[in-house]
Amino acid sequence: MIYLDAAATTLQKPAGVEKAVLTALRTMASPGRGGHLAAMRAAEKLYECRERAARLFNVPDVERIAVTFNATHGLNIAIRSLVRPGDRVVISGYEHNSVLRPLNALGADIAVADCPVFDKEAALRAFDRLIDRDTRCVAVNHVSNVFGFVLPVYEIAALCRERGVPLIVDTSQSAGVLRLDARALDAAFIAMPGHKALYGPQGTGLLVASEAARPLLYGGSGSDSKNPLMPDYLPDMLEAGTHNTPGIAGLCAGMDFVESRGPDAIAAHERSLMTALAAGLSSLRGVRVFAAPDPADQAGVLSFQLDTLSCEEVGERLNRAGFAVRAGLHCAPLAHRTVGTASRGTVRASVSAFNTKEEIAAFLKAVDSIARGA
Amino acid sequence: METSFYLTCRSLTYAQKVSRTLSAARLRNIIVRTPQHMSREGCGYAVRVSANVLSDALNVLARENVPPKRVYRATPSGGFEEVPW
Repeated sequence: MIYLDAAATTLQKPAGVEKAVLTALRTMASPGRGGHLAAMRAAEKLYECRERAARLFNVPDVERIAVTFNATHGLNIAIRSLVRPGDRVVISGYEHNSVLRPLNALGADIAVADCPVFDKEAALRAFDRLIDRDTRCVAVNHVSNVFGFVLPVYEIAALCRERGVPLIVDTSQSAGVLRLDARALDAAFIAMPGHKALYGPQGTGLLVASEAARPLLYGGSGSDSKNPLMPDYLPDMLEAGTHNTPGIAGLCAGMDFVESRGPDAIAAHERSLMTALAAGLSSLRGVRVFAAPDPADQAGVLSFQLDTLSCEEVGERLNRAGFAVRAGLHCAPLAHRTVGTASRGTVRASVSAFNTKEEIAAFLKAVDSIARGA
Repeated sequence: METSFYLTCRSLTYAQKVSRTLSAARLRNIIVRTPQHMSREGCGYAVRVSANVLSDALNVLARENVPPKRVYRATPSGGFEEVPW
């Protein structure tokens, strides 16, 4: 199978990840729950994970790195920490349900900063127009999980700073690939999955948190145990219950891979694959491709449609031909509404560091064959 | 027997920061569970150092802005007494 669904989760992991998970399963107990060797080994691994993340994302303090189950978990912490019912929250037109659903559940007053896909200037203008004194917070994803559109998060962050509005950044499609500088963003929260471009196992995520954080889950933290509530300091206040130590060990190994290869090199590789994919698909008859005019505005995610077949049918035929892609709305109906693809959805192809030019060439051939009705 | 000092910390992560800061300054230390009778808050972790590195340790931690919560000395009778610092 040729796997082109890295935006959902990366399937191919660096060799060190599996080894790290197995080692943790065999030798590590629960971090922060004892002083014996197996517990302290786990604690060391957890701290290593925080240190690596702090280095990779230029976070000023390891205590600001909280481990989560996934990006959704981190986003729920962020939203529940900042937003109360009726609060006005400005979001992009490309947000995932992991932002929309928690906001809707809270009864937030959501204002959408709408803009055409791949138009960064329009995106910035839309945020500029909507962020005002009544805005409780801004939530924006760095990269659209449907279209790969790279939003101007640093410029949006500057607007938020200027107006004293806390910012939540969803880096699900960028962490490990695009430059992510927590000091420069100065966001209240940055949420990311561990299992996508950081190459850790599923069930892992990280949240770069701030003093604005409030607990989402309540339970044991291994600290401050006489306190009937959660500790009021990071990261303990956000980490109730036993950690996913094998997952964290795997995530460490994944981040080691990213650090050693370098996010810039990974991004360049993915961009070259995307350029080839976009050019190839655009040359096919009956295929509508959503590609950025400037490749720098698109990460390793690309959507397309075939004129004559439903997206689900295309996905199914590709699956039978040995290609893994995702068809539908990608848990981001808002992004599809913004671009006008909500009624049909799209077929999404997304790449990782492990995909090759040859795989893209084979994929193009398969799509061509389906488009020709073969 | 050499006297031990316990630098109590609010969390395991913080104790690890303290420990790494001391190790970077080549000061021997070990992370241990905080004995319950020196912990007002319940379970926690402390960094144990010997008497001959205590002064240097506290100086380094002050300089690096990683202060411990409190400092305790292990008494010969097996108890602990808080040390002002």
